[in-house]
Amino acid sequence: MRKVQKNWLEWAVFGVGLVLVLAVLGYLLYSGASMGNEPPNIEVRLGTPEQKQFNFIVPVTVVNHGDETAASLRIEVVMETNGEEQARGELDIPFLPRHATREGWVTFEQDPRTSQLKARVLGYQKP
Amino acid sequence: MPPRKSTTKQRTLAASLQEYGRGVAGGLMFSLPLLYTMEVWWTGIVAHPFRLITYVLATFVLLIGYNRYAGLRRDSSMAEVVIDSVEELGIGLLIAGLVLFLLGRVTAEMSAMEIAGVIVLEAMTVAIGVSIGTAQLGAGGKDDEGLGEGGTEKGISFGGQIVMGFCGAVLFAANVAPTEEIIIIAIEISWLRLMGLAILSLLVAFVILHFSDFKGADRFVRADHPTVILLGTSLTYSIALIASGLILWFFGRFDGVSLITALSQTIVLAVAATLGASAGRLLLQ
Repeated sequence: MRKVQKNWLEWAVFGVGLVLVLAVLGYLLYSGASMGNEPPNIEVRLGTPEQKQFNFIVPVTVVNHGDETAASLRIEVVMETNGEEQARGELDIPFLPRHATREGWVTFEQDPRTSQLKARVLGYQKP
Repeated sequence: MPPRKSTTKQRTLAASLQEYGRGVAGGLMFSLPLLYTMEVWWTGIVAHPFRLITYVLATFVLLIGYNRYAGLRRDSSMAEVVIDSVEELGIGLLIAGLVLFLLGRVTAEMSAMEIAGVIVLEAMTVAIGVSIGTAQLGAGGKDDEGLGEGGTEKGISFGGQIVMGFCGAVLFAANVAPTEEIIIIAIEISWLRLMGLAILSLLVAFVILHFSDFKGADRFVRADHPTVILLGTSLTYSIALIASGLILWFFGRFDGVSLITALSQTIVLAVAATLGASAGRLLLQ
């Protein structure tokens, strides 16, 4: 067999390419093997409400702990005082991949800091 | 400095840089539509890691085939072909990563699996583009004359043509396959129009390969008898259908659809794939 003719630059590019490809394949193999079949498992966290010029905003963090992707999620945040619903905020998230986190806000006209906030995910579909 | 005699047959650094420049340009040219397509990002993010590995391996095989039959240095040994293919995959990953980062498709908030998925999926088309760019966009220097050497004037082998047709089909079809339009057309289309699309594909293959005197057509596609023409046209369309089916399956377009929808998606996409397959058999030489 003929000897491979390459200068150092080409060997360097080959080296970088080989490392990249092997690293990617290795990572995919690892994450594929360690991945279960758990359906979407959605956690909704609320941040600290803030007063803005036009309204009150509440940061929402949505985390998918499952191994499958959820699409078209609808998040609901209810503001309650003494168990009575005062207002309701909603948030749509088009796409929440496995083990991914998305952030957003819901807004209220009244001050939510004096009330209780309850958040839950209403539903989602398979992508 | 190493002794001169070991470096006599190497290319100069400038020549290698030019080659990589062409590769990068080709990679961008052929894959930009995909890098700018929403559905492709999503497919990459949702795809199961094992499906992505299959995609990488399939692309690698395709690259080896391309570099073997139509690469820059057609007299290369198998080792060189494999090395070139690995290089192209690596460059593809780098370009895809960079462009997706600049487009804001790869951000710090994404999980590692999301980032890997979206980059890997895009990088494979970039890698094929890199390969084609390196070999085809050159100005025809000394290195490019592989075809005239070694008695290959009678045209490259049958296997080579199939590989080239497949490369072209994948490259063309991959640009349209992940879009919503394919499934929408496939669901709404009537069977008469579907037949029309199949006939259009066959006509396209016939016109490009045998009729319109494209560059290289008489050299690579021998056709002196109607049977040969018919066979050649059908062969191109078969390659296009197979490539379309594989790509659609990969993009998850066959998940949860009826057989007839899967079939009509394949036929709809095969129009693009036929263009690619015919071009691959001729123009990508």
